[in-house]
Amino acid sequence: MSQVAESGTAHLVAVESPVKRFFRATEIDTRLLGMVGALVLIWVGFQVFGQILTGEGVFLTPRNLWNLLVQTSAIAVMSTGMVLIIVMRHIDLSVGSLLSFIGVVSGVAQVYWLAPWLGSDNPFIWIAGVLVALGTGAVLGAFNGFLVAYAGIPSFIVTLGGLIVYNGAAWWVIRGETVAPLDETFELIGGTPPGAWIGGTASWVLGALICLAIIGGIAMNRSARARFKFPQRPIWAEAFLIVIGCAVTLGTVWVVNAYPWPAKIAEAYANDHNIPIPPEGGEALNYPHGFAVPVLIALAVGVVMTFLATRTRFGRYVYAIGGNPEAAELAGINTRLITLLMFMTMGILVAVSACITAARLDAASNSLGQFDELYVIAATVIGGTSLAGGVGTIYGAMLGALVMQSLQSGMTLLNFDSAVKDVIVGSVLVFAVWVDQVYRRRQS
Amino acid sequence: MLRTSVAALAAGAFLFGAADAALAKDHKICVSWKTFQEERWKSDEKAIKTVVEAAGDTFITADAQGSSQKQASDIEGLLTQKCDVIMVVAYDSDAILPSIKKISDAGVKAIAYDVQFEDPNALYITFDNIGVGRLMAQEIFKAKPAGNYAFIKGDKGDPNATFLFSGIQEVLKPGLDSKKVKNVCETFTDGWKPDNAQKEMEQCLTKQKNKVDAVVSENDGMASGVVAALKAQGLAGYVPVSGQDGDLAAINRVALGTQTVSIWKDSRVLGKAAAEAAIAMADGKDAASLPGVAKFNKGKKGVEMNTILLAPTPITKDTLNLVIDAGWITKDKACAGVKKGKVKACG
Repeated sequence: MSQVAESGTAHLVAVESPVKRFFRATEIDTRLLGMVGALVLIWVGFQVFGQILTGEGVFLTPRNLWNLLVQTSAIAVMSTGMVLIIVMRHIDLSVGSLLSFIGVVSGVAQVYWLAPWLGSDNPFIWIAGVLVALGTGAVLGAFNGFLVAYAGIPSFIVTLGGLIVYNGAAWWVIRGETVAPLDETFELIGGTPPGAWIGGTASWVLGALICLAIIGGIAMNRSARARFKFPQRPIWAEAFLIVIGCAVTLGTVWVVNAYPWPAKIAEAYANDHNIPIPPEGGEALNYPHGFAVPVLIALAVGVVMTFLATRTRFGRYVYAIGGNPEAAELAGINTRLITLLMFMTMGILVAVSACITAARLDAASNSLGQFDELYVIAATVIGGTSLAGGVGTIYGAMLGALVMQSLQSGMTLLNFDSAVKDVIVGSVLVFAVWVDQVYRRRQS
Repeated sequence: MLRTSVAALAAGAFLFGAADAALAKDHKICVSWKTFQEERWKSDEKAIKTVVEAAGDTFITADAQGSSQKQASDIEGLLTQKCDVIMVVAYDSDAILPSIKKISDAGVKAIAYDVQFEDPNALYITFDNIGVGRLMAQEIFKAKPAGNYAFIKGDKGDPNATFLFSGIQEVLKPGLDSKKVKNVCETFTDGWKPDNAQKEMEQCLTKQKNKVDAVVSENDGMASGVVAALKAQGLAGYVPVSGQDGDLAAINRVALGTQTVSIWKDSRVLGKAAAEAAIAMADGKDAASLPGVAKFNKGKKGVEMNTILLAPTPITKDTLNLVIDAGWITKDKACAGVKKGKVKACG
């Protein structure tokens, strides 16, 4: 690719088709585009199929799309770490059980240790609950990493052991009981209570800020290229990227704002604030949901992890190790330390997901997160991460998670038998990887 | 730790029994557990032990630690110790059959405790799972005799999920036939997982535009997911929800009014009934002649067995005192967050 761009002879440009020229100019990752295409296909497919089957398609309603975003967040957060683990030619099979263990420990800490001690409405409890989760995740992740990097045990074995150990440990802490309800502020992390919806205005402001960030990012990129005398994208391509980026952002804001508060909740709010309720009921008050807290957490994690992967030395080392571990080590990279840190990061991300999952359910039990490792790995692989190492992107994995969840919830909407669901989800995973392989072979 | 203490307990019981046997002509009642990993078996054991020792008989137990092979050798061990009756909580209901044959060949009586294995000579004692389904549906039907029903079923690989559903359907059939009750969502839930149940309920509510009047959830864990989904729509407490197991959190939800019923299977009742049957059988009574015994042939292979099916207890706001009085849950835990004067048992 880059060679073509640099040599860029008149002859080559002349034979290039307009489509190819477009992709070269905008520098859009065609595989990303393929995934977005697949996503659109799935969404429209479910909508049309629902229309035919039940006379009314509900998939593309703001409410369902809002749900979809919330339901995807926990897996999406973990997939951002799994990408880098797989890029480093490792695997983490323990994330599901680790999630259940962390969830249970955090729940027990909130309800059984802190609430009796500090009083159940103490504002410190939720912070402590989150810190306990993050701390547990960091320590156990680092321990996984230590065993892989310094004890030289293959990550498959370490984390397979972890899968079994943390499963047992979660049982041990809670004995099959369910801890509920959790702290009320903690619950906001899951996005269930009205306090966890940031509302219309805040969502528009956030959308505008993201839009500005896109414009700023592209401008900065342009000036950086000028400074280092790199070839520039044509102005029209830059404009195109800005328009598309802003359209997607503001479109998403529009969707989450188009889903009004449920009638009962809007009515309760109106009663508390002496607002007259229209005769049509609470939904007519039209309070927009806006973004939910877990979605914002997932977005923030995505941004931070992308920064970590592409703009820091740590991230470059991760990809270097994945590309060729021996060469990286000979080049003086402390591969062991990087491996340990990467597993620790994974542990922290699992803790974030554990908080989201437990808060969303408003309960912690040892069945949370079981089999999540499979969904996380599947999302990562659908997102274009190569199990051979060295290749993979954060945004790809997050999109992969969205694809997986779209399939799941679309089929639930249509009352698919759960056996059929499993068959389809599994097949899509294999199919996606096959398509990716074919694409890559063509490219080279 | 657990392993050694159980072994010590078994050894202690054995020594005690051996010494005692020389003095009195008492019997040995033995149990082979599939695992002690789950807390409930402890309370089963305590209940059996109390009854057996009160009758002057000896109690011997072995823990298979979740392995069919270990369970087979456990049973051989129990036979060597000359048990009169052996209760078996089968880890695998097919793999256990050769061991059961060994028990009958030795002239010893076998009881299938809670988990069925299909041997015509054994007595099967359990809670009525189809009955649990019936009770759930009855309580929900009482609260909402007409409207849109959602069914959140358990794991598709677990026969209990289907047993439960057949009981549920039995009760709701007249309503479904007359179209008063409408089945709007019905789905299995992988691994009986609460977070899956939450997603399923969210999809159901989306599809129905919140027009769901009642939810039959097959256990308490999934009910927690259902209630969370209802809560997000401000519907928790308005839509009846069922469950089973008597989970502590579920009992609290019943007190708070967000869950209608939790069907409770008191393992101590099961233990007591089994121990009493075992003592009678050790005295030489025929299983078919025991009180409460009926013929049952709804297992996988349809083998007809003598069976005692115990009735589970529905825990609702009105019967909350039963779980508190039985010491299953403390009043503080059951009534956490309940306003004064709302629920009788909470005061």
